[in-house]
Amino acid sequence: MIKGNWTRRLVLLAGLAMGVTALTPVYAQDAKPVVIASSEDIISLDPHMLDSNNPTGSAIWSIFDSLVRRDKDGQAQPRLATSWERVDDLTWRFHLREGVTFSNGEAFNAEAVKVNFARMDTAPFNSVQQLHDQTGLTAVNVVDDFTLDLVTAAPTVNMLYWLEEAFVAAPAYITDTAPDVVASAPIGSGPYKFVEWRRGDALVLTASDTYWGDAPAVKDIIFRAVPEMSSRLNELAAGTVDIVVGITPDAAAQANTDVSDVVQIEGLRKMHMGISIKGEQPALADPRVRQALNYAVDVPTIIDSLLGGSTKPLLSIVNPPNNNPDLTPYSYDPEKAKALMAEAGFADGFPLTIQWSTRFDGGKDVSEVVGSFLEAINIKPTYEAVEIGQFREALSSASLKGIYFQGWAALINPSVELVILTCGHVDNSSGYCNPDYDKLVIEASQTLDDAKRQELEYAAQAIIWNDAPWLYLWRLPNIFGISKTLSYEFRADNYLEPYLITYK
Amino acid sequence: MRRSATSVFLRRNALGLLGLTILVIVALAAIFAPWVAPYGPAKIDLMARLAPPAWIDGGSLKHLLGTDNLGRDILSRVIYGAQISLSVGAGAVVIGALIGSFIGLLSGYFGGIVDAALSFLVNVQLAFPFTLLAIFLLSTFGGGFTSVVVVVALATWVNYARVVRGQVMSVKNQEYVEAAKSVGVPTDRILRRYILPNAFSSIIVVASFSMAQAILTEAALSFLGVGIGSATPSWGTMLNDGRSYLQNAWWMTAMPGVATALTVLAGNLCGDWLQDRIDPRLRK
Amino acid sequence: MFSFLSKRFLQALLVLLGVSFATFIVGHLTGDPVELMARENATEQDKQDLRVYLGLDRPLEQQYFSFIVKAVQGDLGFSFVQQAKVSQLIAERLPATLQLAAAGFLLALAISIPLGIIIALNRGTIWDFLVTTLAMAGQAAPGFWIGLMLVVLFAVHLKVLPVSGYGGAAYIVLPAITLALQSSARLTRLVRASMLEVLSADYIRTAHSKGLRERVVLFVHAFRGAMIPVVTMAGLELAELVSGAFITETIFAWPGIGRLAVTAVSQRDFPVIQGVVLMSAAFFVLINFLVDVLYVVIDPRVKLK
Repeated sequence: MIKGNWTRRLVLLAGLAMGVTALTPVYAQDAKPVVIASSEDIISLDPHMLDSNNPTGSAIWSIFDSLVRRDKDGQAQPRLATSWERVDDLTWRFHLREGVTFSNGEAFNAEAVKVNFARMDTAPFNSVQQLHDQTGLTAVNVVDDFTLDLVTAAPTVNMLYWLEEAFVAAPAYITDTAPDVVASAPIGSGPYKFVEWRRGDALVLTASDTYWGDAPAVKDIIFRAVPEMSSRLNELAAGTVDIVVGITPDAAAQANTDVSDVVQIEGLRKMHMGISIKGEQPALADPRVRQALNYAVDVPTIIDSLLGGSTKPLLSIVNPPNNNPDLTPYSYDPEKAKALMAEAGFADGFPLTIQWSTRFDGGKDVSEVVGSFLEAINIKPTYEAVEIGQFREALSSASLKGIYFQGWAALINPSVELVILTCGHVDNSSGYCNPDYDKLVIEASQTLDDAKRQELEYAAQAIIWNDAPWLYLWRLPNIFGISKTLSYEFRADNYLEPYLITYK
Repeated sequence: MRRSATSVFLRRNALGLLGLTILVIVALAAIFAPWVAPYGPAKIDLMARLAPPAWIDGGSLKHLLGTDNLGRDILSRVIYGAQISLSVGAGAVVIGALIGSFIGLLSGYFGGIVDAALSFLVNVQLAFPFTLLAIFLLSTFGGGFTSVVVVVALATWVNYARVVRGQVMSVKNQEYVEAAKSVGVPTDRILRRYILPNAFSSIIVVASFSMAQAILTEAALSFLGVGIGSATPSWGTMLNDGRSYLQNAWWMTAMPGVATALTVLAGNLCGDWLQDRIDPRLRK
Repeated sequence: MFSFLSKRFLQALLVLLGVSFATFIVGHLTGDPVELMARENATEQDKQDLRVYLGLDRPLEQQYFSFIVKAVQGDLGFSFVQQAKVSQLIAERLPATLQLAAAGFLLALAISIPLGIIIALNRGTIWDFLVTTLAMAGQAAPGFWIGLMLVVLFAVHLKVLPVSGYGGAAYIVLPAITLALQSSARLTRLVRASMLEVLSADYIRTAHSKGLRERVVLFVHAFRGAMIPVVTMAGLELAELVSGAFITETIFAWPGIGRLAVTAVSQRDFPVIQGVVLMSAAFFVLINFLVDVLYVVIDPRVKLK
């Protein structure tokens, strides 16, 4: 009797389950919201707490505007600023867009920018925002309502780059409202405005009726957090999700279904095994040993098998089109690697700790494969997974043990890409230090003449390539899935711009 | 409706012996892994990735249980994995038993304020959400074999403390203990010679359950990515590795899962059996 | 009875204080949280600003004291990383966790109590053997593994249930089953054992000898007696379901407390971690207290003490 009751319960439950599936509302094509599924949660909607590209960054990019928009090729485009020029070596002048209002009715002007930039320079935001530290910004001068001067301590070629991620929120709102409200009910001037946020589940946005630009083709956007990749793929196939971010190469084929396509983009993030020069293995201080590591690993084969051929080996530590064309990837040459090891006095190899974090998918796999190649030149690897927070700490204090899987600088800006390997730079996790290199990089970053700057940057790239503070791997492949009803050009830096999505 | 006592007895022994046999086989496999396993646990073969088990289309006898995403032989990894899983279990059992029994002993023997303080400790430990505590500790102090063993032991010491405390309280007023006290035997000797031996059988019973629990806990922690990151995988690590291959290579998750379940089952069977044989009073 | 309960209540409060203290200490043992919260390349000045902003420049005992005073008022602090009140973050996630825990718990009870009684009454038969073995197997398999296998079967191959997510009733089925399986395996065995013990106890024999009908004996006397250990165990199971659903929530993308906490650990979001620990400890302590109360209600012997 009791058993019968239980069976009935199960039947009821199953019936309920099917009922729900059947009841999913059917939208007309244009009215249907576009659902974007990513693995991570959106952390905060405060534009000045932004520190990750997707999904938090994509949402911020949709709700807020910056002065300058970074397009998919890394070029600066007008946004809230319509044009800009250098007044002198230390001063940038921006002409601002007129007639822009925030979604709560506040007006946009030079004063609004000043308020926002000041907020970015105070705690807690200055522990996340980089505008002031990276550009040496010292003063924000309001010339008139729609003209703004930015003054820096030293000449900088990086102003536009950092402005692209300096977002402007409604000034009175962010000043007068409690911080938790600012971060959970954002007010910006961007193409979309905030509707609802169920933390850990979904963020709902709708096209803003006060937007200054062309209305986006897609009216409603939903960002969803779906941590399991298999779930994201299943939902894509079922049509309950339209765009999937974060697919591993082995699963790429599963995004090709009746209703969706897979899109593979060679990303910008330069994946490598960082080589800890001041770590626990002193042999790594010898450049010949570091070159040997590079010759010992068959990068193309790893790309073809583990990554399904979805990317290519690194050509330089600077992304195309600014890479030095004379540099070529280290070939797979175990004999040469052994010779270099012998020359450095390590014919019998040495023990080496290989570390990775959960920051990038497949870190463990890559580490183990790289380790197996290094065994062939007598290196004895041990493996160590490091928790993400701890890994970040070790990176910033350059205290990793041996070699470690890491990716840097998903961007196109040679100056920013090169500076991270200068002596003592906080991002210089390998502890590499070469004064000749530093001189070239610093001179380049203050050289306003393009041709001259390129020459200096090429020379710096050549030095770093041969000194090999990294075991160079590949550019992180980005694999997306997208519904056949939509068209969108994905960006290599992993930001999504829903306002550029169109219906086919 | 009721069977004869002998048949019940036989059946109980049969299950216990079955458990013991499985445990012995797993332990032997772990010890003799280099001779038993067809490949090394870290032998990568990028040309033989994601091969299915032998009995499925596309599988071959070269890899009985298939290969993983790096082309490593799953059978070999399961065999080597037993080394890690069992040693974590054993390590945690030893540490947990030492700490837990010591606390239980003090708590039960001295009673009063000592008992109150130690019971408070036990209650605080129980109230802590263990998984969160474990993730937090391992992520801040780092993974690695030792820390995982210690953290897993944290989950089990309370069981020993409770059981030992009860046992101690029931014997501490017995005549022979009183007699020893009255002739001036030092306290530490009384504890070691007269009290502790009474608790041994219960400790062994708790240990066999804890072993099983420890293996499960280690698997869960590795699954969450805060376990031991060594080239020799634990079963939990293998489960975690297989997670993104559920759709195209279910065997990556199924095989270590079965191994874990079998071993834990064996541990529990042994525990039940010992409990019935040695110490039926512990049965809840 | 009143003194028994009020003593228990006091104990519960003390335990909570202990938990909060331990959490606080662990949180501060792990080094300077500012180092972990600030971006990798923040300047010393940026870090010092943050330290002052977060009140971390004050003496430790002052920090702890103000944490406790605020916690008593329901203010669990402010998550700097998410720019949100911790109490609100928890309040937002709590319903999902409670839903899942309740579904899992009811399912576990619905399976284990009838099953346990039936096999106790049919002791020694093949059914007893089968169910007991199955329960042991269920107890032995890692819960998350069963969860994954359920996903492969029902969501990937049969496609009758969603893989993961939060929404309609269909979404709760797999995570609830995953959560319930291990509890029900444990509880089934416990119900069986406790039922067997009660059936052989004196007062049941007395009831039989008084000529009471089998069914009355079974449900009025035996059932009630057998439920006493089950209530304790069920209480523990429920507390564990609430605070221990981390893995299940991760697998099924269930937006509950567990996922909040796991994310907070990787973000080094200490106020959130502290809040979640305190909340689940409070829940554990509360359930145990309720179990004590229930004891007094069900078990006539406790009243006599």
